[in-house]
Amino acid sequence: MSDLQAERVWEVFRQEAEGDPMIHSGNVNAPDEELALHYAREFYSRRGESQRLWVVARDAIAELDDPDLLRPPFDRSHKRPGGYIIKHKLEAAKQRASRADATE
Amino acid sequence: MSDLQPALAQALAELLLATADDEFVIGFWDSEWTGIAPMIEEDVATSSIAQDEIGHARALYEMLATLTDADADAIAFGRESDAYRHASLLNHPCRDWAFSVARRYLYETADAVRLAALAGSAHEPLAQLAAKMRREETYHLLHVDAWLRRLAEGAPDGRQRLAAALSELWPDAQDVFAPLAGEAALVAERVLPESMPALRAAWLSRVRPILEPIAGALPDVAPSPNGRTRRTEDFAWLHGEFTLVARSQAGATW
Repeated sequence: MSDLQAERVWEVFRQEAEGDPMIHSGNVNAPDEELALHYAREFYSRRGESQRLWVVARDAIAELDDPDLLRPPFDRSHKRPGGYIIKHKLEAAKQRASRADATE
Repeated sequence: MSDLQPALAQALAELLLATADDEFVIGFWDSEWTGIAPMIEEDVATSSIAQDEIGHARALYEMLATLTDADADAIAFGRESDAYRHASLLNHPCRDWAFSVARRYLYETADAVRLAALAGSAHEPLAQLAAKMRREETYHLLHVDAWLRRLAEGAPDGRQRLAAALSELWPDAQDVFAPLAGEAALVAERVLPESMPALRAAWLSRVRPILEPIAGALPDVAPSPNGRTRRTEDFAWLHGEFTLVARSQAGATW
């Protein structure tokens, strides 16, 4: 049985309509997953505004926030797709592929 | 207005009033936790469940008002405290958290048995309302069951308080199934598809296996003949609270 004194933080994700993405909505404190779901329901759907809820223990989330990895100091503009025109390359590749199919 | 025979309409009115008063009074008692529940999340949950119960009471009072050509607000707020017909289980104040969990567990399980029967009522509007109420009560049951298990399996202090509260409330819990005037007519016409003794038997077989490991042997106690008319000073206080606004501006609309 859970220790009621040991509250944990649970991150809550909400889906507004079937097929929509699960969007992070906030968090609740609860001693365990069962009460976390009840509280998520009260905070994020008691007015009927959710189709689906997820709760995830915050300490089960793997986090990456190292700026050296996420925002390295050098110019990153060459990593953006806009600088490369690949339309002709893609068409040529498709043609090669269809020729290869035809000769099989 | 109703096309029921007058005697049957009178009996249905008794049933609606008893059920509505149960929901109304537990809703107001549990709303006493607003702001002071064990944690903020639980505060919101308890308050929201209390609101649900008052919402169910409102629907039942409106059905009663239609049946008797009266005003739902006047029925809800316009009676003297000794005219309420809730079960004696709901005369008690909230006291501590374990006591409130014990009371809600006893009430929610009894209400679930009653609603399951009413969902099969031959009086179609009542059957439809009961089916709608059951969808919300499903969550109430899950929530209170989660708390019963946590207190029962948690630290000794909570477990002892829970056990003591269950034992103390057990006789009054039977009164949810106290006999109703006109019950025989309701059962004969299947407005109430099962008699109160049959409903109580179903409830006992459901809760005893869960509660006796917590509270010890729970005695066979028949519902009291005045189980829905006996009122207490605690309830008189609550009645003063929940009628305060209605009394201060009689006839006001909102």
